[in-house]
Amino acid sequence: MIMVEDRAPIVIPIRASGLSTFLTTMWSNQWALVLPVMTAFLFLLAWQAISVYGNISPTILPPPTMVLDQLTDNFPLIMKHTIPTTYETLLAFGVSIPLGIALAALMVYSTLTYQALYPNIVFFQLIPKIALAPLFIVWLGIGSPSRVTFSIFICFFPILVATAAGLQSVDMNMLRLCRSLRMSDWQILVRVRFPTSPPFIFSGMKVAVTLAIIGIVVGEFIASQRGLGYLILFASSRQQTDLALACIAVLCLVGLVLYGCVVLGEKVVMRLYGVR
Amino acid sequence: MQAEICCQGVRKVYGKGAAAFEAVAAATFSIDKGEFVCLLGPSGCGKSTLLMMIAGLEGVTDGRIVAGGTAMVEPRAEIGIVFQDPTLLPWKTTLQNVLFPIEMMHKDRSAYLGRAMELLRLVGLDDAINKRPNQLSGGMRQRVSLCRALIADPSILLMDEPFSALDAITRDDMNIVLLELWERYRKTVLFVTHSIREAVMLSDRVLVMGRSPSKIIAEIEVPFARPRDFAIGETSEFNELCGMLRDQITRARQGEAEARH
Repeated sequence: MIMVEDRAPIVIPIRASGLSTFLTTMWSNQWALVLPVMTAFLFLLAWQAISVYGNISPTILPPPTMVLDQLTDNFPLIMKHTIPTTYETLLAFGVSIPLGIALAALMVYSTLTYQALYPNIVFFQLIPKIALAPLFIVWLGIGSPSRVTFSIFICFFPILVATAAGLQSVDMNMLRLCRSLRMSDWQILVRVRFPTSPPFIFSGMKVAVTLAIIGIVVGEFIASQRGLGYLILFASSRQQTDLALACIAVLCLVGLVLYGCVVLGEKVVMRLYGVR
Repeated sequence: MQAEICCQGVRKVYGKGAAAFEAVAAATFSIDKGEFVCLLGPSGCGKSTLLMMIAGLEGVTDGRIVAGGTAMVEPRAEIGIVFQDPTLLPWKTTLQNVLFPIEMMHKDRSAYLGRAMELLRLVGLDDAINKRPNQLSGGMRQRVSLCRALIADPSILLMDEPFSALDAITRDDMNIVLLELWERYRKTVLFVTHSIREAVMLSDRVLVMGRSPSKIIAEIEVPFARPRDFAIGETSEFNELCGMLRDQITRARQGEAEARH
């Protein structure tokens, strides 16, 4: 038996005192929480004051209270349009995740596929993708498929790039170890590269989820009879600025919730993999 | 005794033409079965490249490497390797990391479970089997890596500056851990290091490698009795041998400088 003194292991108490640690942090960081809320509130207050006392037409800048009124008065209408937008965003985001990951895997799998794909991927990134939106209407019509496809077209890219970076982040000596164990490229991909990648994949997903919403809304701007993008366009054309702003507020909320879901998923996966 | 590893005029050149870089000029030596040999040299002298060639992870430009009686042409699962960094998989526990080679070699995991537990007990990690690498200290991680290299019962153990990233105290501890394991299993070990004391402490024989040209410039037997412990480092014989090795390296450096002028 070998008795060796060593540095004490750094044990991070995750479950036992998780909640109390969280509360302590919140308490000591109360200003970090209160200050941004206060700033936002003051901003809204200033906005309210300017639009009410500044003699500004509500068409140009409606006060926040008017936007809030629209939100409550037209709640059923706004919800009716929120549902397809959210649904299509989720669909586009949901498809872009496996698509981005699969393409990244293909790219990293061998030197040949890497060389064949990488320059094209870089070129693809340079395309101003929004400019192609009208073409998707030409290709796929004015229905949901064209918007969803366009949104996928916009948002799979960050996932692809981030996943490729993650798959390639495996340490040089780790790869040597794999080769010394005579693991195949496929084994290395599945057993080592993929499990190393989640932190990267999630950072790509965080960018992608916001782009997915942008893709759907742009699609709705161009040709649609439903969705928040359509409602914003409709309200603006009738100079109902308050309704347009109410829709934008809901869009922000949808974006926030989806982003929050990605962050939550990240936390769960990280804990499972014991990376953080 | 029979030679387990045999290198004959091994040369490695990276690149071609004007950009060509000779990492190893000519390495000729052999290591007996069960022998502990240290490859000592300044950083950048090509000793790690040489080790990677012996592991079959790098091809040779010229020369021949024979390990276990057959020419080395590709990596072999029966050679254990320990790198400078522990290279553990962060999502696997200590035990899972140790058993990773078994899993990858499609061998019966349960048949090696006992051996894994024995190795972990020998390095003093039997109460950390279910911990993840981020819960272990640097020294503990490197011990896991050592157990992983030994799990498949390889005949050859190649070590590439395995303790150089650790602090001095942990490093001394690791030397003792390694010696204990070696006494028990008697593997053929080639240990790359740039620490003279470490080389003398551990090995039966020290191969000194020079830089430009990068080749074996001296070969010194270490006569100290085994099993060894820390006390040996305090003896005058030990320090004399260290001094001699230092002279060898200094002389090689001077030769290098003269050759350049």
